[in-house]
Amino acid sequence: MPPVRTRALVVRTVDVLETSRVLTLFSRDLGKVVALAKGARRLKSPFQSSLDLLSVCDIVVLRKDGASDSLDLLTEAVLIERYDSLRRDLRSHYAGQYVAELLDALTDPHDPHPKLFDAAVITLRHLDEPFLRPRRVMRFELACLRELGLMPALEDCVHCGANVNVSVENDRVAFGLATGGVLCAACRPGQPHVATLSGQTLDVLRRHASPGNSWRDANLDPRALAATRGTLGAILGHLMGRRPRLWPYLGT
Amino acid sequence: MYAPPVQRLISELGKLPGIGQRTAQRLAFHILRATPEDANALADAIRDVKDKIGFCEVCFNLADGPRCRICADERRDASVICVVEEPGDVIPVERTHEFRGRYHVLGGALSPIDGVDPDDLRIAELYARVEAGGITEVVLATNPTTTGEATALHLAGALHERAPDVTVTRLASGLPVGADLEYADEVTLGRAFAGRQGV
Ligand SMILES: [Zn+2]
Ligand SMILES: [Zn+2]
Repeated sequence: MPPVRTRALVVRTVDVLETSRVLTLFSRDLGKVVALAKGARRLKSPFQSSLDLLSVCDIVVLRKDGASDSLDLLTEAVLIERYDSLRRDLRSHYAGQYVAELLDALTDPHDPHPKLFDAAVITLRHLDEPFLRPRRVMRFELACLRELGLMPALEDCVHCGANVNVSVENDRVAFGLATGGVLCAACRPGQPHVATLSGQTLDVLRRHASPGNSWRDANLDPRALAATRGTLGAILGHLMGRRPRLWPYLGT
Repeated sequence: MYAPPVQRLISELGKLPGIGQRTAQRLAFHILRATPEDANALADAIRDVKDKIGFCEVCFNLADGPRCRICADERRDASVICVVEEPGDVIPVERTHEFRGRYHVLGGALSPIDGVDPDDLRIAELYARVEAGGITEVVLATNPTTTGEATALHLAGALHERAPDVTVTRLASGLPVGADLEYADEVTLGRAFAGRQGV
C-alpha cells in the first residue's frame, strides 16, 4: 500500500515504549486511523511535537493490512492548527475533548466523513465564546448524527411517515430513542425507549441541525436549551452504549 | 498452540504497553533461548523492584523507603512545591539545579477522555499538603501539552480558592508546545523554571 497524505485531528494519544506514541486520529480522507508514531515524544522528532491532543496536522500514514494487531504507521506529521483557547480555558478544553470523544466513539477506522472532519475543526476554532459554546457543541452533535446517517426524524413519524403534530405548542411528542425519531400515536405503542419531548425541544433541534445562522438566535430559553441537550445526550448515549465520559465536565 | 507455560509468558508480556501479540511471542522466545542466569536475573529484577520500591508517602515520587530522598533531605526548601505529572519528570527538573524545593507527583494528567478524572490523580493529597500550611509557592510543572495545560488550569483555580495566600506559578513558555518534560534539555527547562510566572 502506498503512503497516504491527509489532514487529521488528534483525538487520542497514548505513550508507549520509551519515546513512541500510539495515536488515534480522525483524518479527512481516511476517517479514523490508529497509528504508531515512533519517537514522537522526543523533542527533536520528525513530528516536532505536533501530535498533541486536539491539534490538526498534515500526516503521512503507511497502512498496515494483514495481522489484525499491527497498527498503521505514521511517518510524518506537520502541525497545521492548534487551538489556544483549549489551553487557556477549562470549559473550552472539556468541550474539545467531548468533540474528540464523539469522533472516536462513533466512527469506524478507515471510514471517511470529510464533512464531519470540517465540522469538528470549525467547532474547535470557536469554542472560546462562552455564550455560544453549548450550542456549538450541540450543532456538532447533530453534525455527527447527520454525517453518520443517524439523524433522527424530526417532522414525520419515523415508522410510517405519517404527519405528527410537532408544533411548538404541542408539549407531548413521542420520540423513539432507539428507532430514531418522532412517532405518531398509532406507531408509539410497543416501541422501546420512548421519550416524551416538547415541540419546542424539537424546534431547537431542527434549528441547530439546519445550515445558516438561525441557530444563533439570542432568545433561546435556557430551559429549552437544557432539555434539548438532554435529549441529544440520550440519543448519543444510546448509540455509544454508554454515557460519554465528558458529560459531567460540560456544564450548561 | 504452545505449551501452557509458554502461552502464559506470552500473555503476561502482551499486557505491557505497546507490546502486541507478535512482539510478545518474539520476547518469549528470546527468554526461552536465554541462559538460566539471564532469565532469572530478569525475573529477580522485576520481583525486587516490586518488593523494594514504592511511592513516597509525602510526594508520591518513587522511593525505596517511606520517604523519597528529596523529602528526607532537610536542606531542601519545604515551603516550595513543584508539581509534576510523573516520577520521570523529577529528574530533568533536578538536572537544571534551578529548584531547591520539594515535589508533588500527580501520577498523570487530567484527561476525562482517557478516563483520568481528578480523583484518579494525587490532587487531594496536594491540597492537603498546601492547606497544612508552611507553603509559600506551588510551581505547576505539568507538561506543556493540551492535557498538561488543562491540569495546570484545574489546579491553579482550586489552589487560589483553597489557599489564597500561596503563590501559584507556571513554567515560562519557551518549552516547545506539545512536548514532554521528560525529554526537555536542561538549559531550556532551566530557563523555563527561572522565568516562571504567577497564574
Ligand atoms: Zn407512525
Ligand atoms: Zn517525597
